Amino acid sequence: MSSYIFQRLLLLIPTFIGVTLIGFLVMRLAPGDPAELRAAGGLRGAGEGALSRGKVSAVDEALMQWRAQYGLDRPLHVQYGIWLKNLFTLNFGESFKDNQPVWNKIIERVPVTTKLNIFSILLVYVVAIPLGIYSATHANSLGDRVTTLAAFILFAVPLIWAATMAIVFICGGDFLYLFPPAGLESLDYSRQWSFWQKFKDQTWHLFLPVVLLSYDGFAGLSRYMRSSMLEVLRQDYVQVARAKGLNEGIVIFKHVLRNSLIPQVTLLASLLPALLGGSVIIETIFSIPGLGQLGYESVLARDYPTVMALFSVSAILTLVGILISDLLLAVVDPRIAFGRRQQ
Amino acid sequence: MSWRIWRFLLVALLLLPGCESGKQAETAEPTTPKTPAQADSNTPVTGDWLIIHSSADPEQLNPVTSNDATAAEILNYIFETLLTRDPKTLELKPYLAEERPALSPDKLAYTFKIRRDVHFQDERPLTGEDILFSMKVIKCPLVNAPFLRVYYDSVVDAQLVDRYTVRFITKEPYFLNESQLGGIPILPRHYYDPEDLLKNVTIRDLLKDPAKLSEGVKRFADNFNRNYNRNPVGSGPYKFAEWKTGRIVELERDPKYWGVGKAGIDPGFLDRLRYRIVTNPDAALVTLKSGGLDMMDLTPIQHTRGTSSERFKREFQKLEYFAPSYSYIGWNNESLIFRDKRVRQAMTYFMDRKQIAKTILFGLGEVVDGPIYFFRPEYDKTLHNYPYNPQKALELLKAAGWADTDGDGILDKVIDGKKVPFRFEFKVPSASTTGKSIILVLQEELKRYGIAASVRELDWTIFLDDVKNHKFDAVIMAWAMPASEPDEYQVWHSSQAANKGSNHISYKNPRVDKILEEYRREFDPKKRIELYREFQHILNDEQPYTFLFVRKTVTAVQRRFRGIEVYPAGLRPLEWWVPLSAQRYKNLAP
Repeated sequence: MSSYIFQRLLLLIPTFIGVTLIGFLVMRLAPGDPAELRAAGGLRGAGEGALSRGKVSAVDEALMQWRAQYGLDRPLHVQYGIWLKNLFTLNFGESFKDNQPVWNKIIERVPVTTKLNIFSILLVYVVAIPLGIYSATHANSLGDRVTTLAAFILFAVPLIWAATMAIVFICGGDFLYLFPPAGLESLDYSRQWSFWQKFKDQTWHLFLPVVLLSYDGFAGLSRYMRSSMLEVLRQDYVQVARAKGLNEGIVIFKHVLRNSLIPQVTLLASLLPALLGGSVIIETIFSIPGLGQLGYESVLARDYPTVMALFSVSAILTLVGILISDLLLAVVDPRIAFGRRQQ
Repeated sequence: MSWRIWRFLLVALLLLPGCESGKQAETAEPTTPKTPAQADSNTPVTGDWLIIHSSADPEQLNPVTSNDATAAEILNYIFETLLTRDPKTLELKPYLAEERPALSPDKLAYTFKIRRDVHFQDERPLTGEDILFSMKVIKCPLVNAPFLRVYYDSVVDAQLVDRYTVRFITKEPYFLNESQLGGIPILPRHYYDPEDLLKNVTIRDLLKDPAKLSEGVKRFADNFNRNYNRNPVGSGPYKFAEWKTGRIVELERDPKYWGVGKAGIDPGFLDRLRYRIVTNPDAALVTLKSGGLDMMDLTPIQHTRGTSSERFKREFQKLEYFAPSYSYIGWNNESLIFRDKRVRQAMTYFMDRKQIAKTILFGLGEVVDGPIYFFRPEYDKTLHNYPYNPQKALELLKAAGWADTDGDGILDKVIDGKKVPFRFEFKVPSASTTGKSIILVLQEELKRYGIAASVRELDWTIFLDDVKNHKFDAVIMAWAMPASEPDEYQVWHSSQAANKGSNHISYKNPRVDKILEEYRREFDPKKRIELYREFQHILNDEQPYTFLFVRKTVTAVQRRFRGIEVYPAGLRPLEWWVPLSAQRYKNLAP
């Protein structure tokens, strides 16, 4: 087992380098020049197609000065080398936007995104697992079909549309005012508030983003649950349990459910990166200052250091997630690790 | 203050306009709304907050290294300049300086006398040292401000004459130097350079090879670039209070502001200015309506569709002003097709600009015929206005030799011994939905007369690259400019066509070159106006651009605010106040 773990750990290094190299190249070979963007008066200036006159004159020299300041005038492979070297000393560099260490910018936003994602993952599991169980135990009944259909309809609704509709119709303005349209806290939020007050305010602000972030996850997970459960239901020991005259509830929850959860272990691999990513659209629409928003803004601003840092973080989390689920599978099913060793 | 006006305008242009056309800025809705507050006296009182919409965080809050519009707007409240512009007339007037600078007979040296009663927000006095220091920071090649430094290229030296007098020496006579120099943001030296590392460094030293600068300068620049981006301290009426990334940037009124009670200085009435960041414009409008914002620039569609209910009008007033800018279609003056001025004239005749202003811009634009800000005295109102006239356009094309000789439905002409069909491509930045719509209308129109135009959308940076390298037939773009005295050298002088200059359409006219050069050296405003009249008439005839529109910005403001005036360059919350009975944010903890 330990050699298997060692093997898997070693494999992480070339994978990581490969992943970041591709990311680096995609980012850098994509058109767009951060120096030009800066010269045109920042991102907003660029977006609307207007050029501020003085800025354009910002002769090439100024552009070159700027590029030199950030080492962008060097050959690409050298830049990647430097980046990689810095990475191993845990230095992600400084943002082009404000010269702040990228790492601080990320840390600042982690709590927001994590909170959002934890709740949304919880919600997905809380809804989808029972849904899957229900569908499996009532396979092909009307109820199964209706819930499946509903889950798939939700799956098909574009998030951008749903979120915009929610904002327009239930976030104040000309219609209902049930939830706040933007942000994470009330206007008069104060650190002196009691815990209960803060909790209420947070819940009120997080509710809509969390629900919207979750709804399209119901279909996938519940289907997964349904099929693995159905498989277990067909097993002989289930028949035996029933034949023993066990209560159907005990059969399902004690014998079937536990065993059908094993395949779900693989899904854990995606959980870790999902904690930090996956909310770009929601964060942008609801003006939530999380990592998704940071990533989106950084890509638009061609803030290479920030983009690369986010990219590496999510690469690492994905790799670690996969590693953990592999190890868990190996624990659950020793044949996997053993098979490797045989080779 | 040119610097300030500048950047402020950039904001205005970007958050595009919305409202009925034809009226100038002053025709805003009545500024004294019917609120219960009417009973209060009409003397301004302090108190209340203003919550302003911002669609993004400022990148950083450092007046020298920041280069984005949001930051510029915020920093305007924190930092002050030697000169400012009268918001109404846009004339330069003294601010931190006692009077406008004295100009030496050779027109190269500017001597500023500084007020003696100014102090920074930490109550330390502002002196000539600080002025000199601020210029050094800008000129220091290691400070991360190459794009601001370009404006001060002409400054070759600066000296402290006495504690309250500073002299700047410039390279060549240029009438805008005064405005440039008057516009540097003044930083407290003791705060931004606590070790006094720049003390013995002169401007002349800074002009030398950056590699040879002393360790002290390097240390200063490094520290300045890194550690002063989120904690500005200046001498202005508002102090920086808090910045929660992605949420709010907050300023508070400085009760000890030096300008309190001084004639001609606005100390501000509102206790707090809070910039609230809402990235999504739909959410922002909803937030505005539900009371979470007091002030927001509306998009044209929000202006026409989203904000006309009675309820909205009761709560908010909409203010309109023209952002100094203009949009245009640039014809590549060196392309086979467009190098003939008759063809360019014809193109302008093919465009129903009035109609487009009505339909595509929702009436939020005014047709212009020249490059100068429509409301400046330099703008020549007698220019030919090229009304929509396809017949005339066809005649011009015919006279230029264009005809459909091969019957394929597309005009053609033999140019340089080769038959050239009238086919070309418009390049459009993909973010510009308005630009796209305008071009599509024109494309349809041209098709009817045998001209095949195609449209290509490009990401901004690629678009810009093509434009600078002259790789286009026609582009649609806009220029933003200061509302102050124009200087068109950069866009129209033939020297600016090379090296990725701003004359990207390669317009070349010796007479125009001469006028532009003379204009820069002319210190008499009347003579400058005359020079530019001629210049505009030449452009008007040659139509290197098809000039399009100056566009309106519409800003919604909650009705409890009083003292609102709409100026040519926009709104000035520094003058606003709220009657006591209408104040909304009174006892809130910060």
